[in-house]
Amino acid sequence: MTEHAVPQQKVDRDEVFLEYTKSICPLCKTVVDAQVNIRDNKVYLRKRCREHGQFEALVYGDAEAYLDSARFNKPGTLPLVFQTEVKDGCPTDCGLCPEHKQHACLGIVEVNSDCNLDCPICFADSGHQSDGFSLTLEQVEKMLDAYVASEGEPEVVMFSGGEPSIHKHILDFIDAARRRPIRNVVLNTNGIRLATDKRFAPALAERKVTVYLQFDGFDRETHLAIRGKDLRDLKQRALDACAAAGVTVMLAAAVERGLNDHELGDIIRFGVQHPAVRGVVLQPVTHSGRHLEFDPLNRLTNSDVIEAIAAQLPEWLRTDDFFPVPCCFPTCRSITYLLADGDDIVPVTRLVQLEDYLDYVTNRALPDTGIRAALEKLWSASAFPDTSGPQLECATCGIDLPEALQEATDKAFMLVVQDFQDPYTLNVKTLMKCCVEMITPTDGSSPSAPTTPSATASRSANSSPASASPMSCPTPPNSSPTPSRPRTAPASPPTPAAADTCRRMPPTSESACDDHTPPRGDGEGVLRHRLPVRCRRRDPR
Amino acid sequence: MKACCATAYQSDAVAAILGDSYHPGGLALTRHLARSLQLQPGMRVLDVAAGPGSTALLLAAEFGCEVVGVDLGERNVARAREAARQAGLADRVGFRTADAEQLPFEDRSFDAVVCECAFCTFPDKPTAARELARVLRPGGRAGITDITVTPGGLPPDLTDLAGWVACLADARPLEQYAELLAAAGLRTGLAERHDDALRRMVEQIDARLRVHRMTTAGKAGSPLTGADIHRALALTAQAQRAVAAGAAGYALLIADKPKEAPAP
Repeated sequence: MTEHAVPQQKVDRDEVFLEYTKSICPLCKTVVDAQVNIRDNKVYLRKRCREHGQFEALVYGDAEAYLDSARFNKPGTLPLVFQTEVKDGCPTDCGLCPEHKQHACLGIVEVNSDCNLDCPICFADSGHQSDGFSLTLEQVEKMLDAYVASEGEPEVVMFSGGEPSIHKHILDFIDAARRRPIRNVVLNTNGIRLATDKRFAPALAERKVTVYLQFDGFDRETHLAIRGKDLRDLKQRALDACAAAGVTVMLAAAVERGLNDHELGDIIRFGVQHPAVRGVVLQPVTHSGRHLEFDPLNRLTNSDVIEAIAAQLPEWLRTDDFFPVPCCFPTCRSITYLLADGDDIVPVTRLVQLEDYLDYVTNRALPDTGIRAALEKLWSASAFPDTSGPQLECATCGIDLPEALQEATDKAFMLVVQDFQDPYTLNVKTLMKCCVEMITPTDGSSPSAPTTPSATASRSANSSPASASPMSCPTPPNSSPTPSRPRTAPASPPTPAAADTCRRMPPTSESACDDHTPPRGDGEGVLRHRLPVRCRRRDPR
Repeated sequence: MKACCATAYQSDAVAAILGDSYHPGGLALTRHLARSLQLQPGMRVLDVAAGPGSTALLLAAEFGCEVVGVDLGERNVARAREAARQAGLADRVGFRTADAEQLPFEDRSFDAVVCECAFCTFPDKPTAARELARVLRPGGRAGITDITVTPGGLPPDLTDLAGWVACLADARPLEQYAELLAAAGLRTGLAERHDDALRRMVEQIDARLRVHRMTTAGKAGSPLTGADIHRALALTAQAQRAVAAGAAGYALLIADKPKEAPAP
């Protein structure tokens, strides 16, 4: 110790310690301890990997909102059938196991890894590739059966990819979903086929499919940076085809800080005015798969998106019009609805005091009037424009205008802000209640060749043909995030193999999450949650 | 005027605009009021101007109180009784038609009295305050939340009947409420401002009016015509400005009835 004339003063840390949790090393995917801290009213997740050092990422831009959202955390619902067993714990098991805190509000089937675009940003790391996978009808049928077994009457199945519209059996897959007690079918697409194949939009309309259209903005620069080419004309043609055929569309934008976060207001305004569009989903870019260079400490979070919307549309919305979704972890998704008619724009949140119904900590003893149940369906991962009408009607019948609201629901416009965790932001606490499930085939015969060299190493011993796993928020449908190699990542540069593990694993590729035998070996499908990245167990030392 | 006000509150038009939660602050402020009153299980509580009963039900369900709600409107009383029955709380919550200025209860028969966003509508406020004090037991507390206004701060349009129904016309400054209670023998121990609750309430009325305009306004069966909505929206705009300027606000007061001095 050096000698000081003046005794040293103890100083306080510059952060408030909030949570102790688990995460993964963004480079090697090893499961590591993590802590959540608040500095300057922002929430950060910090972790240390033995090999790759310390990582820290911004997870929520408004610490007060993060803390306040805790009261909107709804008790989870048990699925009819668990899909995996607890073996090594979360997130290593990564399935719809008895320890998972929520059932599946939304099931996603990725039908292929092939795509007719090669976007610089793609969390799924899809593109023109000859070695990708492509599901068969038989596989999809089994996966849907697994989903139905788990949920009974699932609210929504979303077909994604890759680019699902170029799968030659996509309509057969949709028909297969329609033959089952699944209420809504959503197709996640870049719109190229809608714009170029005249028969496609009518085929979707006939099957009552909601289109989830990748739509990032209006600036040419936005398109070039995110999609690699100017798709503005194609998007317009796709939307017009949907309007002509009567297909309902949700616009889904991948939002990156400093790139298109200035276009949020324009996207919403455009959507409200377009006859086919009934909602907008804004997804901060997920930094897995292919993504642009980014600073984990200054990434875009849900609260930043909400603040940007309020700043860009002050005449329509305030930040407090967005409410956290209680079914998943409330920090993952925020939703609001606009009733729109000409110049009259009314956020539903100004009609009903939502916290009187969706605050599960405070409202413990009040009689349920049915309004809460309706609001829960509206503020849910399974909510889509086509499903919201009846609920909106019920939720707003509290205003004693049933007839009025019946009409108003036709004018309802849905706004969703959805964060998907990535290897930098993954918080196992949040993952454990994720209600967006990846439905994956698990038979060794299925999909195909893994796209990454390291993934080819081994096939898992899975014997069941389908499984569902929590989407783990890290991989958003559609949002297209990107580069496999976090270029601004702290610590040492990843080895090629390590970086490849950042890529999204195709179904059944080797991954810790697939790395155990499903509990049911009878050839039936199972639903499992699956991380978009491989997580590895820590080596026992 | 009071009867007219109660009738107006029961009308479809007002129900359409105000919804079930007739007071600013909603359930959250009601809970805060209950905690400020230090309500305990088993306490006997009177809710004056109980409306459709949501406050009375909350006090019974969450605080374990035995509650009697009174309202001048018979339809409200019937609705409140039905709500209590459906909630399975009919054994602990009762409702009856009564006038706040003439409460049909014995002296000293309640541990606490609540009155939310209604005192301002009572034409004879000194009498109403005396009635609240009379039915309280010594040591009991009255909890009042109400609209406050700055004298001369309201635009004239807000002081006509529409303003009356919306509570603003005969609202008083916070200090005057405390004085009215003091004159009736109730000592105000806690006075808080909750102006944002009123801002939100006015905004909610405005939103409901707009939704009404989007849908049924002027159509057969609608309680409001397009002209009604137009005029009402002009009033809400004025009210919003008044709230923003601080001319109108919302307050919570807790006043207690002193325990009687021991006999000399």
